Amino acid sequence: MNKVNKIIRRDLNLSILTGVTMLVLLWSAVFFGDAMYSLKNIQSMTFQIPEFGFLALAMMLSNMIGGIDLSIIANANTVAITSAYILNGQWAFGMTGSARIVAAVAAAVIVSLLFGLLNGVLISRTSAPPLIATLGTMTLFQGIGMAVTGGASVGDIDKGFAQMGKATLMQIPLIFWLFLLTAVILGTVLSKSKFGRKLYLYGDNPTASRFSAIDNDKMCICTFLLTGVLAGMAGLIVLSRVNSAKVGYGDSYLLQTLIVCVVGGIDPNGGKGRVWGVLIAVVLMQILSSAFTIMSLSPYTKKLIWGIMLVLVLGLNYALRKYTNRMELRKSLKEGC
Amino acid sequence: MKTKKLDRFQGILLLIIIIYSVFVAIKNPAFIHIETIFDITRVASTTLMVAIGLLVVMISGGIDVSFMAVALFGSYTTINIMIETGIDNLAFAFVSAALIGGLLGVINALLISWLKLPPFIITLGTQNLFHGIMTTFISDKSFGAGVLPESLHAFGQASVFKIKDVGLTASVLPVLLAGLATWFILYRTMIGRGIFAIGNDEESARRAGFNPFRIRLFVYVYSGILAGIMGMMYVAQTNALYPNKLVGDELIVVAAVVIGGTKITGGQGKIFGAVLGVIIIYLLNTTLIMIGLSSSWNNLFVGTILVISVAVTSYQEKVKNRNNLIFTE
Amino acid sequence: MGTVLEARHIYKSFVGVQALKDINIKIESGKIHCLAGENGCGKSTFVKNISGVYTPDSGEVVLNGSLYHSLTPSQAMREGIQVIYQDLSLFQHLTVAENIAIGRLKSDKKRIVNWKKVHAIAKEQLDKIGVHMDINQPVGEISMANRQITAICRALAQDARILFMDEPTTALTRTEVDRLMNIMLDLKKKGLAIVFISHKLDEVFSVADTITIFRNGEKIGDFESKELDKKSLSYHMTGREVEYPRYRRSVKDNTPVLEIENLSRKKQYDSLSLRVCPGDIVGVTGLLGSGRTELALSLFGLNPADSGRIKIDGKEAAISSPMAAKKLGIALLPEDRFHQGLFMDREVKENISSAIVDDISARGLLDKEREKKIAEDYTRQMKVRTPSVETAVGTLSGGNQQKVVIGKWTAARPRVFIMDTPTVGIDIGSKAEIYEQIHELAADGMSIIFISDEIQEIIANCNRVMVLADGRCVRMLEEDDLEENAEQTITELIGRHAEETAKGEAL
Repeated sequence: MNKVNKIIRRDLNLSILTGVTMLVLLWSAVFFGDAMYSLKNIQSMTFQIPEFGFLALAMMLSNMIGGIDLSIIANANTVAITSAYILNGQWAFGMTGSARIVAAVAAAVIVSLLFGLLNGVLISRTSAPPLIATLGTMTLFQGIGMAVTGGASVGDIDKGFAQMGKATLMQIPLIFWLFLLTAVILGTVLSKSKFGRKLYLYGDNPTASRFSAIDNDKMCICTFLLTGVLAGMAGLIVLSRVNSAKVGYGDSYLLQTLIVCVVGGIDPNGGKGRVWGVLIAVVLMQILSSAFTIMSLSPYTKKLIWGIMLVLVLGLNYALRKYTNRMELRKSLKEGC
Repeated sequence: MKTKKLDRFQGILLLIIIIYSVFVAIKNPAFIHIETIFDITRVASTTLMVAIGLLVVMISGGIDVSFMAVALFGSYTTINIMIETGIDNLAFAFVSAALIGGLLGVINALLISWLKLPPFIITLGTQNLFHGIMTTFISDKSFGAGVLPESLHAFGQASVFKIKDVGLTASVLPVLLAGLATWFILYRTMIGRGIFAIGNDEESARRAGFNPFRIRLFVYVYSGILAGIMGMMYVAQTNALYPNKLVGDELIVVAAVVIGGTKITGGQGKIFGAVLGVIIIYLLNTTLIMIGLSSSWNNLFVGTILVISVAVTSYQEKVKNRNNLIFTE
Repeated sequence: MGTVLEARHIYKSFVGVQALKDINIKIESGKIHCLAGENGCGKSTFVKNISGVYTPDSGEVVLNGSLYHSLTPSQAMREGIQVIYQDLSLFQHLTVAENIAIGRLKSDKKRIVNWKKVHAIAKEQLDKIGVHMDINQPVGEISMANRQITAICRALAQDARILFMDEPTTALTRTEVDRLMNIMLDLKKKGLAIVFISHKLDEVFSVADTITIFRNGEKIGDFESKELDKKSLSYHMTGREVEYPRYRRSVKDNTPVLEIENLSRKKQYDSLSLRVCPGDIVGVTGLLGSGRTELALSLFGLNPADSGRIKIDGKEAAISSPMAAKKLGIALLPEDRFHQGLFMDREVKENISSAIVDDISARGLLDKEREKKIAEDYTRQMKVRTPSVETAVGTLSGGNQQKVVIGKWTAARPRVFIMDTPTVGIDIGSKAEIYEQIHELAADGMSIIFISDEIQEIIANCNRVMVLADGRCVRMLEEDDLEENAEQTITELIGRHAEETAKGEAL
């Protein structure tokens, strides 16, 4: 019991989150029963999670180094547009069938890496505040997408690629497995690898990490490369699910990814948080989202609820922080005297 | 403060505007028509209103992305009241929208002061909160032309003066008034100096006798009031109101203010800079077609200018800091 | 000259810790009163109790004849108390004039700003102390000395009768310190009471009329300046005779590890040369801005030199980044422990391993057992007092935190360890332990560059000393030079040179 207590103490936030998620699971089971936990609904949820999940992981990484990356959604859309042009043959350069799919995925990776590189170089070289720098690149990425498409939706993509988005493995969509795998790898990298450790140190105090012979510029660029690729993956998944791409898809995701990060215990000032928290928060978010759909709430009501949720969670976190600080102070005083 | 010299950054912006304008004028002489210029002024006037509010917030070291939701909330609620009660009075419309805007500003200020978290995240939350409350609890109907109070429509059509039958929109009047009021507040009152002071260093401001909480309250309320007025101006101009307008357009205003040289770190910023930023954005917006590009190219140009402007100003700051052995990232 | 402030039986405690115990102090107008004591002895807490930042638990304050049990900041200001904190509390982007006048306008409850008045106030105050400067410049663009003067003018503008100055000289060069001292003496003549907080003994003696010594939250006593000498003052401050153990180099190897030849950086330092051998502890001393920290940062790759050469083991090395420095075996303990040295929220073990993350990883993965073992080894070796290596480093005392920084870099096994003011803000017990550690590291063959402005500390711990003034090396003292009268020599070197530059500037 003592051990359990200790674990709960050590990560109060994660424990509360898990508890709340359990409660929501239970509540939705009681209220919606089959509507929520039918195979069909679970499948549809697992179809919806990945695109949002990848964006949430991207936002998480940028939060962990103390910045908010506003450009992830623009990145995803423009990547999707690029791939869509290859898949519908406009930029295929004579490629057909699976060659097109390979080229589209390769292009997505390259373009998203370039976008990430631009963010990383801009922020590390000029010390620009990430929020403002990514506001600029967001506008730029959107601008590229708009300039290329004129604002129209790019569709008519290769059937084979569209199939990939709908394929399942053991009743669960492939893209969900892909998301899960990515999250597990990312979680392992962050908690076990030297890159992860440096990321936490850099995020916690970039000046001290510079004075500890950690290559800050490299850390910043690598983080934004990762953020870029994760956003690009989200773009590919959107494309395979919706079968088309356009500028402005999923704009409301910005708020939701931030909520998920805050709920998942990521400190927007950097240096704190874990993938598991975000993962649980993504699931929680999806269940709520499904519940709202079953209840057929209007998009406006959803907005209201997300808004309340963000403010509420921030308030709770604040109260929690105050409480734990006081406990720690009391503890250290006891030990000190 | 006596010597009104243009700083270098603003000089460069002005130069860019002039060179670009000359370029457009050569490519397409239609640009020099008074009509074009008045048209740019008309569409830019609403944005300018909120840009000024945002500038004040950013000088205090904060940021606000809820102002468009506040603008919509204020105008929408006021229009509803006016239609329900049959009041058709311009003054009532503006005062009511401004009051509602100010009230929502209080909520922003309180949350930011209490939670002590990045104001971007908090105001993103309140943006959705306000918009959600409005659409859920007040109404989500759309109002087309004809339903709206006549006095507003008249204001939207009114012009200050006319040159060759082309009128300069009356919307410039509230903007001009707001600009003057803001200038007076920022440079001639103690609360304005307090806004600069807390943006420079909150702890020092407290030691000098300022009350950061009260200043922050003022800042967000002021920004809310300007947003409310802007909402009304918008209704008058478009002569229609939908519950999904305005919200979502706040980041371009942030971009304009940043292009104008205001730093997100606070303590600095000039009204003229914000004006230049807004002008650049709307100049591009309306003239791209004239030089043979569709308006889809808009963001590409705005984004490029923003990225360059941020890169240049941040890099200068970094070099200065490094020479003083300050290693902030 | 009457008593303007009398504090009686002031007690103050913070969550169980007694910070002030029964403090009685009288401050008279027209005198310079110095509060002396080690870091954390309660002198700053005392000032905050008088200026209204804190409320004393008990006790009373008599100000200009009226009795207060507690004060608010505005009451304190109305009674003429002005405090200049160490960080000066100026507004970087506002002009000198506004910085000077803003407090006055605020206390006059002005709502509208009259810029003519602002400029008039600023000019009047600057004239009062006989200084000329451009009042339209933003404070962020003027020198530290002028910022100090701006802060003094701001205090004077608010009719200060008692001026508290918390460590006003740390960021000033010698000439600037002299100018400041003259201003202080001048203000004293005008009848102001000045309370001066400092740990620099020569400054204390040069201006103070009365010295009050604090130790562990208690007042040890009031002394006339002439009653004390440096030795008795430091005895009273620490409560013990401080005899630093002298360091004697025992390593026989005389092949230089690090050589610097004519290293220069514009506006910072000029043609510095130095050879450092294994077992050397080379002291670098000089005032702030003399080039000491600038040189240290250059050797660590954070402040590239313009010209000159750096050689490691006789081979020329380009140190372009801290990563390159670390690879060459150079470590730096930075000046600012709080922001540059440590990750305050993170565990002791993560701090100790922070510079060797690559070295304790294999195939990209971190070896956490090895990390823990290294952390435990080095906390033991450095005598860090911590509940465990999993404790957050920010909860430790200043001395233990600094030991963690030393441990962190020792774990990287550097060959040259640069320590920039390693004992600042540290209690005397930890200081002794840190000196001992440094001696041991040097005895094992490490080369150490020890930067400090405490001359006694330099003499005790170094076998060679480079004295810097205005970016130039004014003297290199070898082992023999350090035997006799070294303290006087160094003080004179710094002082004389500063006078010469002052004369040069005057011409």
